[in-house]
Amino acid sequence: MPPERFPIPQGTLDMLVLQILSLGPAHGYAIAQRIEQISRHAVQVNQGSLYPALHRLEVKKWLSAEWQASETGREARVYSLTKVGKKQLALEKESWDRLNAAVKLIFAGNE
Amino acid sequence: MGKIANLLGRRRRARMEEDLDRELRYHFDRRVEDMRAAGIAEGEARRRVAIEMGGIDQVQEDVRETWTWRWIEDAIRDARYAARSLARSPGFTATAVLSLAIGVGASAAIFSLVDQVLFRLLPVREPERLVAVDWNGNSLSYGWGPGAYMSYPLCRDLMKQDRFFDGVLCRFPTVVMLASGEGHQAEPVGAEIVSGSYFPVLGVVPAMGRHLDEQDDVQPGAHPVVVLSHAYWQTALGGAPDVVGRKLLLNGFPMTVVGVASPRFRGMDIGEAPAVWIPASMKAQATPEWDRLLDRRAGFMQVFGRLRPGVGADEAQAGLLPWFKTMLDEDMRREGFPKVTAEERAKFLASTITVRLAPLGRSNFRQRMDRPLVVLMAATLFLLLLASLNVASLSLARAAARSREIRTRIALGASRVRIATLLLADSLLVALAGGSLGLVVAPLVSRSLLSFLPQEAAGVGLSPAMDGRVFVFAFLVSAVAGVSCAMAPAWQAGRVSLIGSLNQRWSGGADVRARKALVVGQIAFTLTLLVGAGLFVQTLARLVGQGPGFETAHVVTFGLNLKRVGYSQENAQRATQRILAELRSLPEVAGLGVAGNTLLQGENWNNFLTVEAGRRFVTDRPVDLNPVTPGFFATLGTRVIAGRDFDGRDARPAGETGGPRSAVVNESFARRYFPGGSPVGARLGLGDQADARADMEVVGVVRDFSYRNLREKTEQAFLPLFEGTLSGGWFYLRVRGVPEPSLASVRTAVARVDPAVPLMGLRTFDDQVARSLTTERMLATLSTGFAAIALLLSVVGLCGVMAFVVTRRTTEIGVRMALGATRGRAVSLVVAEAAAMIALGTALALPCIWAAGRVVEAQLYGVTAIDAPTIAAASLLLTLVALAAAMLPAWRAASISPTEALRFE
Repeated sequence: MPPERFPIPQGTLDMLVLQILSLGPAHGYAIAQRIEQISRHAVQVNQGSLYPALHRLEVKKWLSAEWQASETGREARVYSLTKVGKKQLALEKESWDRLNAAVKLIFAGNE
Repeated sequence: MGKIANLLGRRRRARMEEDLDRELRYHFDRRVEDMRAAGIAEGEARRRVAIEMGGIDQVQEDVRETWTWRWIEDAIRDARYAARSLARSPGFTATAVLSLAIGVGASAAIFSLVDQVLFRLLPVREPERLVAVDWNGNSLSYGWGPGAYMSYPLCRDLMKQDRFFDGVLCRFPTVVMLASGEGHQAEPVGAEIVSGSYFPVLGVVPAMGRHLDEQDDVQPGAHPVVVLSHAYWQTALGGAPDVVGRKLLLNGFPMTVVGVASPRFRGMDIGEAPAVWIPASMKAQATPEWDRLLDRRAGFMQVFGRLRPGVGADEAQAGLLPWFKTMLDEDMRREGFPKVTAEERAKFLASTITVRLAPLGRSNFRQRMDRPLVVLMAATLFLLLLASLNVASLSLARAAARSREIRTRIALGASRVRIATLLLADSLLVALAGGSLGLVVAPLVSRSLLSFLPQEAAGVGLSPAMDGRVFVFAFLVSAVAGVSCAMAPAWQAGRVSLIGSLNQRWSGGADVRARKALVVGQIAFTLTLLVGAGLFVQTLARLVGQGPGFETAHVVTFGLNLKRVGYSQENAQRATQRILAELRSLPEVAGLGVAGNTLLQGENWNNFLTVEAGRRFVTDRPVDLNPVTPGFFATLGTRVIAGRDFDGRDARPAGETGGPRSAVVNESFARRYFPGGSPVGARLGLGDQADARADMEVVGVVRDFSYRNLREKTEQAFLPLFEGTLSGGWFYLRVRGVPEPSLASVRTAVARVDPAVPLMGLRTFDDQVARSLTTERMLATLSTGFAAIALLLSVVGLCGVMAFVVTRRTTEIGVRMALGATRGRAVSLVVAEAAAMIALGTALALPCIWAAGRVVEAQLYGVTAIDAPTIAAASLLLTLVALAAAMLPAWRAASISPTEALRFE
């Protein structure tokens, strides 16, 4: 029986963050919340790796960040996807799909 | 530069840290809030969130790492990219690196010397508290050096002024004969005669043994001890470990070595590094011709003090004045005070004392060299600027060639800053490569520069080695050059329009204008350097051409001082007679004369003269004096134009004592003080005191010839010297045939009398003339070299731009030729463009030449700083060379067939 909640596999957090942000700008806490909500709490975001990932993506110019008033009224650092980030997301999705299909094929072959 | 970048980086970093902190705190608070909303108690919620986030510190650390990596990665990527792209254009890279290497190499070499001579503080404890204490006014003392120097007793008085000073020292630099032991040949070496307080006040530590102290400077003649310099210990004594306690012969007098100075400490005068330090108590032994240590009217000591902490130089100067005035009063009442006029007495009493900060010591060498070095430094900075312009121009060309790549990058979203960073990385890499190569070249330049200094100055203590300060200088200079070279292309890149820039053919009009402006600058600087070189070469040529005023080709000279090798007065006189006889017996010797002071070695003796010729008057400026033997003038080949040479009549009869009875003056003296008349028969007296006795009859007038150096034309008077009374002097021999072989025969002739007698400065007079012109030769040679390099650099720059211009105008030229223009017409089109640049550069050079003229004026002779023929010749040369350089690409343009040219588009 699989465990109730998955830790995020290495390397996929970046993709998930990009995907969440493609829906609209968000601050770090909201990103973590949304990943968990959308995955119906199947995926658990390790808070300690979220912020390094966000900064890494910002450094790569895939994200941009800005201080904005959040829903609570307090200022939060809000991330949004850049043009380069969008291109990157498309690339990642494509390669993820290809990998996924390949993995499925391999499992199908074994059955 | 670096500091500012660092500061900006730090501020940016601080802001990022603050942001991160706020961001994480926001997350933490929101999570806690959510948990509390879910019904978890605040304390518990906080605890859980902290665990969940894996420790805030750790998160911060991880985030920080991503920042650092970016910077390092970016820098490495840029450097790698720049290196690769430079390797792809080796022509550009080599030219740029070499240009900068020349610029940096030359300026680092000169800077190294400038730094050592002009800027280096003395290597002593707290040099910033050292002050020079000078007499300001008429000290009524016998002149040894400038009137500012003080007597030894006065220095001892100053030592008691401990309200202001933590110690006072005095020094007198001189030359002594030093033999490294019994039976060894004595050599002339630099020496410092110092007060016992010298080493303690300076606070330097010996390398071995001990330094001199107060106990060595108590009783005149009673302290036969010396300290050796590290260099002398190493070279003359082979670094013998048992040197302390050994006896050396100083002027033939045995002295015990008590210590060796540290290699870093080379005395207080850069340029005159002493081999030995002698306590003032032994002055009579160190300078046997004159002692006067305890004479209050013998001002020869340079006095330095160490200010007490918190005391300023001005404060000390003001505070010392009352004491000084009292001292003047007491001095005047002392026995033996010279009889003077009321006017002179007033001047003496009006004297004051000057206290100036002197953290660099005091140096005659520095005074002599600072102007030439500043001139050379300015020249090398011009050269560096020129090299930078060259690299800037090349970088522009390269940026133009890369414009498609740059525009592609901009289109792909690279920011302007990013592009500028890339170009900067490129230039910085070139600059650092050029700078490093320059540092390799610098010691060679520096060594050749030092080789221009006279050999006697081997003790100058200047080193061609490049130290940390020079490295910093070279690095800064290269970095500034690199950054400024990147400016032009980066600016151009910023102006590239983004829209449609990828497919639009780029005209590069602005680019060509920028490059042309750089070439115009290069031409202006080159012309300035060429004019400078022209002036220095002419100065040297004039001085050489003019000569000392007599035929030098067959004259040999040397100096002899028997009392400095242990002879008594009587023995010295006897030996000198025998040496004269030996020299006269040499078959090639046609004439022989002896002078008290040497010619063309910067030495002289001067004094005011009191003249009696119908009326009594004092010369309005000091007259240069030299005692010479009968036959001296004939030996040099100087004509006596009125009256006669000295002869036996000028000697005092046996048994009669007194000064010289007669004098010979030179033409300049006669012209100045006896215009239209003859000085023969007039009477002269030494000094301007009221009681000066004018009892020397002028018996002759001789043609002018040089004394201290070739530049000065001064009034001179000669006093008679007689061979029987000589114990040495400066010998001048006129020989038959070439003079060089005579050097050996002179040496053997003297050795036949005493093989242990050292000959000072034995050389041909032509050699002596050459040595006296070292500074002039250095300036002429280096400035010519710099100008040649400048010419080469600007030809490279011009050639590059013209090639570019031609490429741009190929189509136009093709069309013109298709329409029937001749090849000559095509060439002239291109050349006209070059000529315009040259003309503009020349016009811009004129104010530079004028300004540079102000700096070099003092170094020139026989030519003014703004010399029209020199400027004309230099611009002609530059124009010819530059036009020739422009012809090449022009000719190529004209050789293109019209069809090919049209296809080019």
